[in-house]
Amino acid sequence: MKKGLLSILVLVSVLFLTVSCSKSSDSSGGSAKAQKITVWCWDPAFNIYSMKEAAKVYSEMHPEVTIEVVDIPENIEGKIEAGLQAGGAGLPDIALFQDYIIEKFIQNYPGSFVDLKAEGVDYSQFAQYKVAPMTEGDSVYGIPFDTGSTGFFLRSDLITEAGLNPEDYQKEMTWSEMIALGETIKAATGKPLIAYDNTSFDFLRIMVQSTGTQFFKDDGSVNYNTPAVKNSIAILEELHSKGLLYMAEGWNNWIAAFNGSEAAGFMNALWIIGTLKTQPDLSGKWMVVPTPLVEGVAGARNASNNGGSSWYVFSSTKNKDVAVDFLKSTWAGTSDEALEFYNTILKGAGAMGTFLPSRGGSNYTAPDDFFYKSQAVYEDFSEWMAEVPVMYYTPNYLAMRTALNNALQNMFAGNLKSIDDVIAAAEAEYKQVTGN
Amino acid sequence: MKKSSSYHRYLNRTGWRFITPAMILYIVFMLYPIMYSLFLVTQKWRGMSREFVGLGNFVRMAQDQIFWKALSHNFIFMLIQIPLMVFLAMILAVILNQGIRRFRGLFRTVYFLPCVTSLVAYSVLFRILLQSNGLLNNLMLNLHLIDTPIGWLNNPFWAKVTIILALTWRWTGYNMVFFLVGLQNIDSEIYEAAEVDGASKIRQFFNITLPLLIPVILFSMVTSTNGTMQLFDEPNILTNEGGPANATMTVALYIYRQAFVLNSDFGYASALSYVMVLVAGVLAFIQIKVLKERK
Repeated sequence: MKKGLLSILVLVSVLFLTVSCSKSSDSSGGSAKAQKITVWCWDPAFNIYSMKEAAKVYSEMHPEVTIEVVDIPENIEGKIEAGLQAGGAGLPDIALFQDYIIEKFIQNYPGSFVDLKAEGVDYSQFAQYKVAPMTEGDSVYGIPFDTGSTGFFLRSDLITEAGLNPEDYQKEMTWSEMIALGETIKAATGKPLIAYDNTSFDFLRIMVQSTGTQFFKDDGSVNYNTPAVKNSIAILEELHSKGLLYMAEGWNNWIAAFNGSEAAGFMNALWIIGTLKTQPDLSGKWMVVPTPLVEGVAGARNASNNGGSSWYVFSSTKNKDVAVDFLKSTWAGTSDEALEFYNTILKGAGAMGTFLPSRGGSNYTAPDDFFYKSQAVYEDFSEWMAEVPVMYYTPNYLAMRTALNNALQNMFAGNLKSIDDVIAAAEAEYKQVTGN
Repeated sequence: MKKSSSYHRYLNRTGWRFITPAMILYIVFMLYPIMYSLFLVTQKWRGMSREFVGLGNFVRMAQDQIFWKALSHNFIFMLIQIPLMVFLAMILAVILNQGIRRFRGLFRTVYFLPCVTSLVAYSVLFRILLQSNGLLNNLMLNLHLIDTPIGWLNNPFWAKVTIILALTWRWTGYNMVFFLVGLQNIDSEIYEAAEVDGASKIRQFFNITLPLLIPVILFSMVTSTNGTMQLFDEPNILTNEGGPANATMTVALYIYRQAFVLNSDFGYASALSYVMVLVAGVLAFIQIKVLKERK
């Protein structure tokens, strides 16, 4: 009898202990003097590094505040979603969100984020394409972090080998010009123009965003049937049928393709530069040109974006004032320290912020010897960044992207013959997966 | 009389106390979620917002081609992979039991190793081996077995073959161990008698070994059916989220994607789970029936 009681007692006390533990970690730092801000993000070499640099800057101004940056390498959205379902239990003060996922959280969990526009952040200082997805009515919820400003990476040595002058191509080009260049390179060197990751939506997304056309209508329903999507698929189909695509199967295979000189180039965002530099024997050979223009779509530009994330403060925080002040005076600050901080993370992690006043930093304009004729690539990317058209994601971006990419894969496999078939297949799958 | 009834009550009470901790854990972590999922099934769920749809999730499921495709893939894997694997496991066990005297322990370990390997590690390794310019394709090209690389990962047909091969690689050794135990339980006198009667080795296998191993075969099949019904890791990692273009999507993976990747639609995911449980239940029922008839 005693043992039975004992086991119940042990169990109950264990349950209480765990509950009280999670409670105490929540409320720590709520006291007046020494304050602690917790931040969740996920990449030690990139956003964790950057946030720690920001923390350093802020700690010098406010020694009483400690900022703890926590690495959540796996499924951060799932953990946040569980916390929001539980009314904010276990959540940090600040977290980093991918731009494509944040609209889902803003719409599905209304009132969960602090309105930073009301807190006095000046959003005219940020790249506008970053601000739009985090805006809802008059409220703006995030502090933009990095840009995924895109360009077309080309191997200058292969262009030379094809009897052309690489410098003639360092300009804004259309896709037909790019395809013509690819055909010449292919004829002379046998290499396809583009290393293409068959499992990824990145390529098509870059093309469509460069046109300024949205994947969704204003009412939130999917919008595949547009000149932007159709022309982009037509370009991909042309590249494929002319043998200008090197089909890679997944991310690692794709990196191996361009680092192993299987193709004369690829298209993606500036954050790939770190990966390029892991292949030092290609030093001096790469050059970056503006994202090619999708013809026949009004509003199309030679600039686009792929990836990027932003910082958000949860309404459940007990340290709202400190958390907001921290973000305002570092990530959105115009003090010399704040601007120098942006300059530091560009050099240290290749992280380019989207805070426009930061673009004057010395690391932005520095020539880079890794690139052909020491191209100052960051200066180019930051110029293109200001031109990137706005793209909205809605809560259904992932379903939209999976459905369209599956249809594309079926087109490359020869199962879908026409562009209209591709769009119809994507629409059908989207409808089934979302139930809308 | 009186004394014994109070003694019984004492025993009863003590019994209840003993099972209380387990019951509390069961209620909190099993019963409550199951009950709650019954409520979830009737909802269309988006974060904080939810809406009552009654049986709407099941209507939606009936029209969801991807769900039906996923279910058909589960059955394809089940019908092709399980017989293949059970047959291989049996052959390996017979060879290890009768043919090989030396290094038997070593071979047993080698065949068993795959099933204790990390799922993620082996899926990633298989990806590298199987890509178009991977080791397997290059080897077959060099031996002139094929003219063009096989799309193990990006051709809808070959991706299914890849899953079947990977599952077979992983679980054959595990099942082989059951067959080894089964073989050791067969009396050697039976073989001696057959030997005297002049039966060949092959005849012995089909007329003695196979019939006596049927309980093990059934056990192997039942456990594997369950595993294949819940197949998740291989299509998620090896063929990249059920790719190419849903060609290796399974029900378990689709449930996960509905709940945690695409829509946060816990209602629809719960409805899908109930159907998966139902299908697995029916299969288990059939198998138990078969097992009983055998006995």
